[in-house]
Amino acid sequence: MRILAYAAAAFLAASPALAQGGGRVTLQAYAGIFKDNYTQTVLAPFTTASGTAVQYFEGGTSAQMLGTLRAQRADPQIDVVIMDVTTAAIACAEGLVERIDAATLPVIAELDDQARSSGGACGPAVTYDHLVMVYDTRAVTPAPTRWAAMWDPAHRGRIALSSPPNIQGLAITAILAHANGGSWQNLNAAMPRLREIAPAVQTFDPNPDGYTLILNDQVRFATGWNARAQLYRDQSQGRIGVVLPEEGTVFQINTINIVANSRNRAQALALAAHALSADAQKAFTERMFYGPTNSRAQVSPEAMARTALAPEFRNRVIPLDWNEMVRLRDGWNQRWRREVIAASGR
Amino acid sequence: MIGLLLCLPAALVLGVGFVWPVALLARISLNRTTDMGAMEEALSLETMAKLVEDDFTWELAWNTATLSATCGAIAVALALPVALLIRSAPPQWRGLLSLMAVAPLLVSSTARVVGWMAILGDRGMINAMLAFAGLTDDPVRLINNWTGVRIGLTESLMPYACLVLIAGLGRLDSRLEEAAATLGATRTRTFLRVTLPLAAPALAAAFLLVFVLGVSAFVTPRLMGGGRVFVVATEIFDLALETVDWPAAAAMAMLLLGSLALAMALRAVVARVPR
Repeated sequence: MRILAYAAAAFLAASPALAQGGGRVTLQAYAGIFKDNYTQTVLAPFTTASGTAVQYFEGGTSAQMLGTLRAQRADPQIDVVIMDVTTAAIACAEGLVERIDAATLPVIAELDDQARSSGGACGPAVTYDHLVMVYDTRAVTPAPTRWAAMWDPAHRGRIALSSPPNIQGLAITAILAHANGGSWQNLNAAMPRLREIAPAVQTFDPNPDGYTLILNDQVRFATGWNARAQLYRDQSQGRIGVVLPEEGTVFQINTINIVANSRNRAQALALAAHALSADAQKAFTERMFYGPTNSRAQVSPEAMARTALAPEFRNRVIPLDWNEMVRLRDGWNQRWRREVIAASGR
Repeated sequence: MIGLLLCLPAALVLGVGFVWPVALLARISLNRTTDMGAMEEALSLETMAKLVEDDFTWELAWNTATLSATCGAIAVALALPVALLIRSAPPQWRGLLSLMAVAPLLVSSTARVVGWMAILGDRGMINAMLAFAGLTDDPVRLINNWTGVRIGLTESLMPYACLVLIAGLGRLDSRLEEAAATLGATRTRTFLRVTLPLAAPALAAAFLLVFVLGVSAFVTPRLMGGGRVFVVATEIFDLALETVDWPAAAAMAMLLLGSLALAMALRAVVARVPR
């Protein structure tokens, strides 16, 4: 009997909302297909299990979400936020989100090391995404396996390559630096390759995004984030090809955070616990191909093969520290403008 | 007193919608950004000073000023014949013609830019026609560069220039032109010596309006520049929404606002100088 009582107490401690019962919680996260799929695979089961209604607030980009948090500092209307790790680090430093650890959120103990550490003192990683090369399967044959395929003169003028400060521009620069200089911080090693491809680039600011430009027959190659690229590949019936190139990739990490002075803290913790749980991670990965951060998630081999956590891809992930990247970013941005974009001569 | 009361609603709207946000921007521009990107409360001109000392800020200012001046001048030059045509049209047609001249304003600027992308793109309508005619092998680069931005911005500014010129030229006394013709002046001479000088204030007002609109233009440089065109508005966007450096974004916005206010003040002073 005592064991049952302990078990019940432990369960309720791990699920504060269940302990509290019902209520509501407001989540701020990305719009579009992220919202649709996250609602179906993660939020709906949470509501069913806990009775807590989740209000989904479409926050736009992570920077816009940070703006909302700053604006609501005195009177937060949002309880939980999912945002990019670099922006979350700013929110953490400004005290906009709570510092959190495994004592408050026991599920953190189930996460892998990187997921625990990437959020710093605040919320842990909830999804892993990574930079991929996307291409037009009708125009590019055989299927490319390396970033170097974009340098092929046959594709001159048909490349979309985001430039810094866009995060994809920073990521491809880090990958090229690593591939050519052994270290992702070694910008000098990336610059010759970037200057070389610059004249072949049609746009350094793909609008609305690289996937759409490929589908509209404007470009043949672009960079993209794996999760969305995989969905676009499926939706386009294979027109868009997705490849994790041999030279490597870097993670884009989203963290989940509890907003400081949340009005519904218990429900917010419960939602975060559910989002990080093995079941929710498995469901979202199998739907949208974000890499799971919970090492206990039993993701199907088919879905896992479409993430960077697949065994054959793991050693291609370059260990980029986004917090260090924030410090390097301005310098990279300036050199891109002066040496790469200036050399594009369009 | 009644006049002041009548102005109150507009003053309130202006206060809430413009003065308060600008005051907030000014306050944010005095904050600092840490190496980690976090915003620190401060009362410092450090961010502003950094921008002023950065060569790239001046390059942005130059890019913005020359782009706006070029596109503004072309827009006014293109709008002038349209306004003259409307002025000389039968009165019953003037309303319809004026509506047609400013009709592009009924379409959102983003939609217009998307249209330009379809026309000017490497695989767009113009390049398809050139290729079909056998005139080019490689596409002519009309977009994702300064050329594309100049075309798009000029088109987007032209309706505003038309609007001002139609109103301005409508007030010209046509009897003066008739008098010039009666005295033997040719049509060209009448235009150069009578119409154009009389239209100068309207031309100046039109140019000033489109110049100011050009300086703050964001959609066209962003969507048609292909990441190659850097102006103040695109930089403010990047600072605010890519690098999340709000103090720098606010400081740059304040510099832009200050420059425009200075330009307007100078114009007002020049206008008062007796000739």
